[in-house]
Amino acid sequence: MAAMLKCVMSGSQVKVFGKAVQALSRISDELWLDPSKKGLALRCVNSSRSAYGCVLFSPVFFQHYQWSALVKMSENELDTTLNLKCKLGMKSILPIFRCLNSLERNIEKCRIFTRSDKCKVVIQFFYRHGIKRTHNICFQESQPLQVIFDKNVCTNTLMIQPRLLADAIFLFTSSQEEVTLAVTPLNFCLKSSNEESMDLSNAVYSEMFVGSDEFDFFQIGMDTEITFCFKELKGILTFSEATHAPISIYFDFPGKPLALSIDDMLVEANFILATLADEPSRASSPQSLCLSQKRKRSDLIEKKAGKNVTGQALECISRKAAPRRLYPKETLTNISALENCGSPAVKRVVGDVSEVSESSVSNTEEVPGSLCLRKFSCMFFGAVSSDQQEHFNHPFDSLARASDSEEDINNVCCRKFNGSDAKYFCII
Amino acid sequence: MKFRAKIVDGACLNHFTRISNMIAKLAKTCTLRISPDKLNFILCDKLANGGVSMWCELEQENFFNEFQMEGVSAENNEIYLELTSENLSRALKTAQNARALKIKLTNKHFPCLTVSVELLSMSSSSRIVTHDIPIKVIPRKLWKDLQEPVVPDPDVSIYLPVLKTMKSVVEKMKNISNHLVIEANLDGELNLKIETELVCVTTHFKDLGNPPLASESTHQDRNVEHMAEVHIDIRKLLQFLAGQQVNPTKALCNIVSNKMVHFDLLHEDVSLQYFIPALS
Repeated sequence: MAAMLKCVMSGSQVKVFGKAVQALSRISDELWLDPSKKGLALRCVNSSRSAYGCVLFSPVFFQHYQWSALVKMSENELDTTLNLKCKLGMKSILPIFRCLNSLERNIEKCRIFTRSDKCKVVIQFFYRHGIKRTHNICFQESQPLQVIFDKNVCTNTLMIQPRLLADAIFLFTSSQEEVTLAVTPLNFCLKSSNEESMDLSNAVYSEMFVGSDEFDFFQIGMDTEITFCFKELKGILTFSEATHAPISIYFDFPGKPLALSIDDMLVEANFILATLADEPSRASSPQSLCLSQKRKRSDLIEKKAGKNVTGQALECISRKAAPRRLYPKETLTNISALENCGSPAVKRVVGDVSEVSESSVSNTEEVPGSLCLRKFSCMFFGAVSSDQQEHFNHPFDSLARASDSEEDINNVCCRKFNGSDAKYFCII
Repeated sequence: MKFRAKIVDGACLNHFTRISNMIAKLAKTCTLRISPDKLNFILCDKLANGGVSMWCELEQENFFNEFQMEGVSAENNEIYLELTSENLSRALKTAQNARALKIKLTNKHFPCLTVSVELLSMSSSSRIVTHDIPIKVIPRKLWKDLQEPVVPDPDVSIYLPVLKTMKSVVEKMKNISNHLVIEANLDGELNLKIETELVCVTTHFKDLGNPPLASESTHQDRNVEHMAEVHIDIRKLLQFLAGQQVNPTKALCNIVSNKMVHFDLLHEDVSLQYFIPALS
């Protein structure tokens, strides 16, 4: 029997489910349906691999939940089970869950099931008077990504009622891409990321202080300041309002990912976001920050080459060339790889393409020998889909090294990613 | 130069938020004039605004529980700031259901209007939101351009119909034409008219009433049914109408034939004057 999924929800459950889809849509334009015995997971990861979101609905969340995996007999005794590989385009699923309040009021039930033979997910809404609305969405066969991140080892853990953080949604303008979270054992402060507002005379600087006594749980191992994308935070905050369950924040030092999670009886949500690595001068990260930039780079390359045998290593190195980008992880890679990527030499998380030229110029001080970046005479823009990344790893690898040596500076290559597709640009 | 003010009353806070939202809809950047007993939001008729000007005035004591200011000098006890009005209204958005709001002039790397909001929280004052809004301090020598505009003697002065109705009419007319003619007489009639090659649309309002004219004698010889008219940019009128969330207690329209139209609105504690020049 082929892998399949079948579930039924009531109106109010659809609302929570729809909110989850909306929250995940802030991360990526693709969504995996990943049913298992633990429940139905919705997963997504952004194209630059700097943000990952997963919402798991337990089987008891649904009125009815049924799934099966394809079991293959193999030569050795172990059977391999093949789960449903179902990747949907966000563009096709998001509009279905748009007007959630009216959906909640008007539908009697909603049924979601797969037709693996036709690579289709069918979403049906049953209204009163026998009216039925059916959506057939084609899916792509693709193995869902999973991120293994042990949030329980994080030194800083906070838990708060969503209502108390909800004001943060309106705190920043939509043009604010990154926000900084600063914590001390007494205080929680969410503020505009300084780096963003280069043009200080124009941008509003906003911050929100929340005292430790507002939190249900407040454990800060050390004073920390981390910077990450606002968009995804906004997503999970909106979602948390629908579940009313407390939201937990787990993090360590700059450069290490941050986890935002909601742990309810019926729904469990985890958003894992890359954070900016610290600037060397600030030196609050326990990593070897006192080393010279150059030294660190070669260090990193070695580390990576040692730790990851596959194409992963190459990709991490190429990230050196891409100024200030970092990515949380690939399928089932260990999170430590990510930490390394977030080391001082690489700086920043997600941005959009318009930023590209600026950041490569404005951050020249941080990249040794890159003062010459200002001399770029010609630019070449191109876009590759993230699937093609691997093909580019090799060329990037060599270019990355070139960028490190001052003689060969003309050969610098920068790569940046934005939400929808991977972009790189290359300066010759 | 010093400025520091505080609002603790919820109703005042809401009212102030509404005003700042209205200003944000009317003008992208505006001048804030702070004087010991008044606040003014000013838009002056530079070419960049297409000649539109605005003068909004509120008495500080109707809003603020604390209000301290010290102008540039004793004889010029005023402060003029330029700010992006959207920034202020956005900062006040987090102030809904706030316990208190403080506004002060600060200098953190650059001059700022710092809006600090004490949010309701379970314990005492432990949720605070702060926004530093960058501003430009306007030097003394430019103040003369920012004085209250003088309203020229109108040909016709008439009360406006319900602004919402007027807005929905103008909104539809905007789809057809870029220009609009406002015409009114002293007999309580106001027409909104658009004319294109294909169509001519007029909406008539009647029995609106006219305020008593200051200089009655000069107008005595005039025919009350004579229409005074002015051609204006429809988008500017719509912008003005869209900014009005609450129907004012008094709304007056003064027409100076072929020169300009002047709207004078009075809300409880705020007065707003808005000038749209005639198209040549």
